[in-house]
Amino acid sequence: MQNSNRANQAPSDQDDLTLVDRVLSGDRRGFESLVRKHERRVFRVALAVLRNTEDAEEAMQDAFVKAFRHLDQFRRQARFSTWLTRIAVNEAIEKRSTRKNYVPLGESETAEGQVIPKRYEPWRSNPEELYGKQEIHRIVEEAIQSLPDIYREAFVLRDVEGLTAEEAAEVLGITIPALKSRLLRARLMMRETLAEQFEEPATLRTKIVHAAVDAGTAVAMRLMRAAGR
Amino acid sequence: MKTMDCKDVLANLSCYIDGEGSRELRQALEEHISRCRRCRVVFDSSGKMLKIVSDADPFEVPLSVSARLYSRLEKVLSES
Repeated sequence: MQNSNRANQAPSDQDDLTLVDRVLSGDRRGFESLVRKHERRVFRVALAVLRNTEDAEEAMQDAFVKAFRHLDQFRRQARFSTWLTRIAVNEAIEKRSTRKNYVPLGESETAEGQVIPKRYEPWRSNPEELYGKQEIHRIVEEAIQSLPDIYREAFVLRDVEGLTAEEAAEVLGITIPALKSRLLRARLMMRETLAEQFEEPATLRTKIVHAAVDAGTAVAMRLMRAAGR
Repeated sequence: MKTMDCKDVLANLSCYIDGEGSRELRQALEEHISRCRRCRVVFDSSGKMLKIVSDADPFEVPLSVSARLYSRLEKVLSES
């Protein structure tokens, strides 16, 4: 039974399952390989939740200890990495909730209203050529850190760590539509925050031309709707 | 599919970027984007934003943090 999901797993996931089997059969060293392979992601998601290196370190350690002690409860329906990431996120969220000054953002406060874009200047065709690698890393990290909690978590899991929408929803313990809604807002906020660094510098002339085009488009769309198209 | 307004188009931004949605929906989005400069900018820059994020150097665990993790796990593993 234990191996029933293996046919659908990618090679890296199969390696994880082999290591899990080794640990469960008493070879504790197998756990070190799992830690080495997944510590970067575990630390990254803990930091996404906590925004503080010391707290993220503690959450990461607790997550790995918990994963080791409860390894026999890993059911193998999900990938090992998703199971582990969920433990890490839960550890980090629990740690955050014990902070004295922590005020959780209720879903009702966040679901209302769409993020309305404010910046409409086109971005440069090769924005990454403007800055060095370290500078880009810093700019992106700062933008991520500026996102409100629930949007930062969704964005890091899906767009930074590359989990599927289903996996990210599973890790956060929310529905897929809720995940997608948070992700859309997170992406629009990220776009808005990074626009300053990556937009084409607009001249007064281009601003006037764009304003005229936008006004013309709005009129045309109203006429099309009125005509029943 | 009826003509979409900017609000509908924005609500489907992720769907478009992630390559999801029916062909009909994607055609309706593309049709709107071809006419609407503002939505075109938002879609194009959102795609560029995601590319910048995915191309950025990955976040690394500081060596000292990693060392303390291994040290703690060493104890836990030897006690169990």
